[in-house]
Amino acid sequence: MSNATNTTRVARPRVVLAALLAVVAVFAIAACGDGGDSVGGGSDSGTEVAKSGPVEGEITISNWPGYMDTGSRNTVAEFQDKTGVKVDYVEDVNDNAEFFGKLQPQLEEGKSGGRSIFVVTDWMAKQMYDLGYLQEIDHATLPTVFDHLIPSLERPAFDPDRKFSVPWQSGMTGLMVNKKLAPGVKSVNDLFDPQYKGKVTVLSELRDTIPLMLKADGIDPSKASKQQWLDEIEKLGDAVDSGQLRRFTGNDYTQDMTNENVIAAIGWSGDTSLIENPDVEWRMPTQGCILWSDNMVIPKGAPNTPAALEWMNFTYEPKVQADLAAYIQYVTPVTGVKEVFEQQGKTALANNPLIFPSAQFTKNCTTQPDPPGSAEDQQEVTNAFQDVITG
Amino acid sequence: MNGARRRLVPYGLLGPGAIWLVLFFVVPMYYMGQMALRSGSLATGGFTFTWEWSNFSDSLSGHEEQLVRSFLYAGSATLIALAIAYPLAYAIALRAGRWKLLLLFAVVAPFFTTYLIRTIAWKTILADASPAVDVLKFLHLVPEDGRVLATGGAVIAGLTYNFLPFMILPIYASLERMDVRLIEAAKDLYASSTKAFIKVTLPITAPGIVAGVLLTFIPAVGDYVNALLLGGTGQAMVGNVIQSLYLQQRDYPEAAALSFLMMAAILVVVAVYLRLAGTGAFMGEEEEAK
Repeated sequence: MSNATNTTRVARPRVVLAALLAVVAVFAIAACGDGGDSVGGGSDSGTEVAKSGPVEGEITISNWPGYMDTGSRNTVAEFQDKTGVKVDYVEDVNDNAEFFGKLQPQLEEGKSGGRSIFVVTDWMAKQMYDLGYLQEIDHATLPTVFDHLIPSLERPAFDPDRKFSVPWQSGMTGLMVNKKLAPGVKSVNDLFDPQYKGKVTVLSELRDTIPLMLKADGIDPSKASKQQWLDEIEKLGDAVDSGQLRRFTGNDYTQDMTNENVIAAIGWSGDTSLIENPDVEWRMPTQGCILWSDNMVIPKGAPNTPAALEWMNFTYEPKVQADLAAYIQYVTPVTGVKEVFEQQGKTALANNPLIFPSAQFTKNCTTQPDPPGSAEDQQEVTNAFQDVITG
Repeated sequence: MNGARRRLVPYGLLGPGAIWLVLFFVVPMYYMGQMALRSGSLATGGFTFTWEWSNFSDSLSGHEEQLVRSFLYAGSATLIALAIAYPLAYAIALRAGRWKLLLLFAVVAPFFTTYLIRTIAWKTILADASPAVDVLKFLHLVPEDGRVLATGGAVIAGLTYNFLPFMILPIYASLERMDVRLIEAAKDLYASSTKAFIKVTLPITAPGIVAGVLLTFIPAVGDYVNALLLGGTGQAMVGNVIQSLYLQQRDYPEAAALSFLMMAAILVVVAVYLRLAGTGAFMGEEEEAK
């Protein structure tokens, strides 16, 4: 026993010394690396255009859950059969900011984590492009896409020449309502009615929730000032304090609506297919909705761009898109799909205003805006919103 | 073996652990440390190293509430887990007989499903119109117009449930090793059952309790999944704030600074706790205690 104690006594200082040396060595090695340089802030390598070429090999595509038809004969399988390209289709985008946060260190180094395409919302695509993370696309390499892109999506404000983004699906943000339990909810303002206390959720996406609240208060969100954004955020904070708002959610509000924990929410138009409750319907708010698209983009460092471009062309063939649209139930960005449904005798789909909204239906809607002002102003609004969420 | 080689043996044995610690603890800590001292933003040219100590105070301001809440939730969960785990471990170790293995298996079995799925399952179990909540309302544990999901109670319940086995197993191990004849001896000396428990069983199993409390409390403080899935508005914990700072607000330096502060806070709490509970108990030196 005493012998053992002796050994430990002798060894202890040496172990401590060894550990200290190891720490010092690590710091020295790390310091030789990027110790003083800046982290993040964009890639400086210039513009890059996605190259076309022979279609072969394999590609990895990152997309949101629920954005692909299922079964052994789905769109991915069809593409593989037609082109011989092996597709690794991954549903790992759950939230724009979160996906960006996970991937940003790799994008910064000009790597895409093996992905040839991923799908992000308009504002995120623009931010990635501005940071130099995305390749540009040559319209000559995407004939099917630009033959069939619906006119209203040809010149969006965030990418007027469609230099780096191709819409995957579009959608509307509005009200998801249980018509049996909350029949009276018609405007976003009705969510703040005390009779629905604790039974209401809003989206944790700043650019969905706040612009809808602005619209409900009669303010055009594309022209709203920073103070008006902050005022709505404060209103949201009050609703948190009073217990009116149950949660801030992503897609998971669909589960709460299925279980009737929540009877009215801010939600996305295509999500009715995810809610297994016949009483729940998507409603156009009386003051209009928010319009957005999720876009396919090709990151810098993407392997096998020819196959990626071919995938984009393939999904813009009206017959292929019809299969996707029938399953996804969001607004399709491809022309000719309605005709395909009509030929197939699927009149319910052909007349579904959530897949083919008429100009009349969306007349009060606004394209999803960014908070106004400089990067710092936008950051201030983002932080205020996050402070309410994590309150 | 000659003397020199014998002296090298301990280092050889330390090797794998030391390499592991350096790669997965020291190196990340270094990067986190220097991230916590940077300033700037992603949109304006990235983060530069400027010894920005104010990140630490900035990250704390406005988040004191969540920090306190984290310790409150984790502390409550630890106490409840202890109250559930001790009798259960006692019954399994000393009264279960041939059912011992089966019961131990039942304790560990939920771990065959992932943490996330188990937590999401509670969303269905505790849904507003679920039978479980109806029973709680009938017992007047939940007010008639109240709910369980999206409350602080649900978060504490989730934390308790998810970390309970970490409390049960160390306590079970210490009870299992206990010599039951000591209790008989105490009774022979006219100790009541309660007195025998307090004077004999409890001190002998103290190391198990101390270990169980640490294994439950530390991960529970840093947890963010339970607050995210089972909590509602106003129930965010520090983990949720760090996640928001890192992924939503993209303020990497403040996120790193807050992580450090939380680590420091846990260290202090654990140090005070070990001081009170006695390190001897933690190191398993109950032999000397006897």
